[in-house]
Amino acid sequence: MPVKVMFVQLASCWGCHQSLVDLHETLADVLPQLEIVYWHTVVDYKLHDVEKLPDGSVDVGFTEGFCRTEEDLYLLKLARQKCKLLVSYGTCSTYGGSPALLNLYQIDEGLKRKFMEAESVVDKKIPDMHVPKMLEYVKPNREYVKYDLFLPGCPPEPPLIAEVVTSLLRGEMPKLKERTLCDECPRVKSEVITIKKVKRAFEGIPDPEKCLLEQGYICMGPATREGCGAVCTRAGVPCRGCMGPGPNVLDQGAKMLSALASIVDYESVSPEELVQSVKDVVGTFSKFTLPSSIIPKAVSKKK
Amino acid sequence: MSKKEKTVVIEPATRLEGHANVVIELDEKGGVKDLKFCVTLTRMFEKFLEGRLAEEAPILTPRICGICPVPHHVCSVEAVEAAWDVEPPSAAVKLRDLMMQGKQISSHALHFYALAAPDFLAGPFADPSIRNLVGVFKHMPDAVKKAIALMRIGQEIVKTIGGRSVHPVTGVPGGQAKRLTEEERDRLLKLIDEAEGLMDFTIEVARKVVEGYLDVITKLGVVPTYYVGLNVNGVHTIYDRKATVRVMDPEGKIVADFPKKDYLQYVGEHVAPHSYATHIFFKPAGYPEGIWRAGPLARLNVADKMETPRAQELLKEFRDAVGRPCHATLAYNWARIVELMEAIEKARKLLEDPEIVSSDVKRADVRPREGNGVAIVEAPRGTLIYNYWTDDEGVIRKANLIVATNNNIAAVEKSMLVAAKQVLEERIHEKLKFPEPWFK
Repeated sequence: MPVKVMFVQLASCWGCHQSLVDLHETLADVLPQLEIVYWHTVVDYKLHDVEKLPDGSVDVGFTEGFCRTEEDLYLLKLARQKCKLLVSYGTCSTYGGSPALLNLYQIDEGLKRKFMEAESVVDKKIPDMHVPKMLEYVKPNREYVKYDLFLPGCPPEPPLIAEVVTSLLRGEMPKLKERTLCDECPRVKSEVITIKKVKRAFEGIPDPEKCLLEQGYICMGPATREGCGAVCTRAGVPCRGCMGPGPNVLDQGAKMLSALASIVDYESVSPEELVQSVKDVVGTFSKFTLPSSIIPKAVSKKK
Repeated sequence: MSKKEKTVVIEPATRLEGHANVVIELDEKGGVKDLKFCVTLTRMFEKFLEGRLAEEAPILTPRICGICPVPHHVCSVEAVEAAWDVEPPSAAVKLRDLMMQGKQISSHALHFYALAAPDFLAGPFADPSIRNLVGVFKHMPDAVKKAIALMRIGQEIVKTIGGRSVHPVTGVPGGQAKRLTEEERDRLLKLIDEAEGLMDFTIEVARKVVEGYLDVITKLGVVPTYYVGLNVNGVHTIYDRKATVRVMDPEGKIVADFPKKDYLQYVGEHVAPHSYATHIFFKPAGYPEGIWRAGPLARLNVADKMETPRAQELLKEFRDAVGRPCHATLAYNWARIVELMEAIEKARKLLEDPEIVSSDVKRADVRPREGNGVAIVEAPRGTLIYNYWTDDEGVIRKANLIVATNNNIAAVEKSMLVAAKQVLEERIHEKLKFPEPWFK
């Protein structure tokens, strides 16, 4: 019997779904085992088709994205109601993702910039007809509904998806790997790391073999969960932390800051200089996880 | 609203990436009074880019679209380079071009086979349960396997150049973080051989679809609009630093061909109260007269010719059948095939260029500065405009983005209004000639 699945797109880019499509020929084995009851990009079923399904009648649901509008939140709750097993698919769904950096601003400031202040806009107004209301802040979806499985990554790389999907199809619960990105990164690390200066991504030409953090680039490896295959550091750029916090890490940004603070050579750079050299602390250290860090709570309290 | 007036809501609009509903307002006689294409989401990248390090913008903005992250990555990094007045090495520019062609291959194959083809192959009246990629797969597994192979080839090119197949990371102000090795080049050339073989089949499918549906393509939802697209002296392109932006009016006259940095004189955004996506238009003509379209059909309309020989032959065949300008919305799918051919030919040309394996791909002397930088490339679904203002520390102070599909929102709405009237008032679907479905 085919497995009944629904793929739900909340506020997101569809990159997690593209990564699923990037299973390529493996897809040909997976597709015939699925009965897709909702996937708006691929199949023409409408919202009312989902509403009509009996509760708990869908075997597995995958949610991509976070809740930006009331419509997203409605769909998320509907998915929870209809699915036996709900998978938080990708980093937006699991931790909030990078577009949740809008949490640094009030929602009205975002709408104002886009519809009133953008240089190319000619008739300034904020849309309010037939469009769902914006939610004030992005929260991780798990604060709205209960999940059975989290599969982070922006997007999760195809091998990780293949692993998870095949175990789900076998009726087994997949287990995520439990180490940090550094453990799967092939770059050569010294026993003791000290850095004299923090470099920005465009500075100089990094050594292709050596640990990027050791070379002064902010590489999020120590604070990030493994599972992507270290694709970025293999391609010559630092990890930006898109897999989210490593195991047993509460706040990815805070973890990375403390990792960085412990390797700086304070004879060459003072703590003040170190902080000043990072011009965008939140965007650098919590690029993908702001809503699940301790930061937005502080902002909300101040209000 | 009187009692007999009615509103039909299609929720959500399906087989598109993104979020939209369609609201059709009917009068008491069942006629179509109005149709609104309501895009129901925006994530406001323009705002949260403020305060970010400019070199991180190329990491953030691909998250605008997971199907076409490459043009966002490339356009983003080049807008930073424009603001900082940095010229990347020529080998880096060629790598970016190759990555763009790879994405064009995978996105066009996905759009044609997964988003568009099911309507034509199963027929528009088929049940939703079979009128989709999975349905096509069950009935035409060989076709879907070929489609998957084409998508794989495009994504492999992207991954090899960009480090990842979705959300590439190698574009850094001043060049590319990763060079292409000789072994990688040879492997990609083999994939291009494979892609060329697959194109014969794809063109055959497209020809059959076009022949079968010519009546529908040329009669349903046809709307005259302006068109916009990049070109180099009239030659079609999706990525070229020297390219200018051409605009064609609904009669087929080229009414502008402007340098990228002047975009604000020509590009206007109209805010529709019912859509979180703005309606982009040709500013000198005003709104709604200046509504334009971008993407494959628009690029073919504005171009005098294609850059590569086989694509040029296909363009000739296209023009002989539907003319120039072609206003038929459904012809987008055919235009996509012409562009797919060019992307494959262009990828071969780039891979055969000895400079593609150069190790000089990144400048070491990049310095941030205060500046205002504009970059424009062609994403698979349309012209993509990035404008960043940076301060002297290289932090983004302001960002203005015109995203590819946005160019088409107003015309999509117009086209659907025409089609809704044709179907609901004239019942044109009962008069048009439809071919037998490929499968039932």
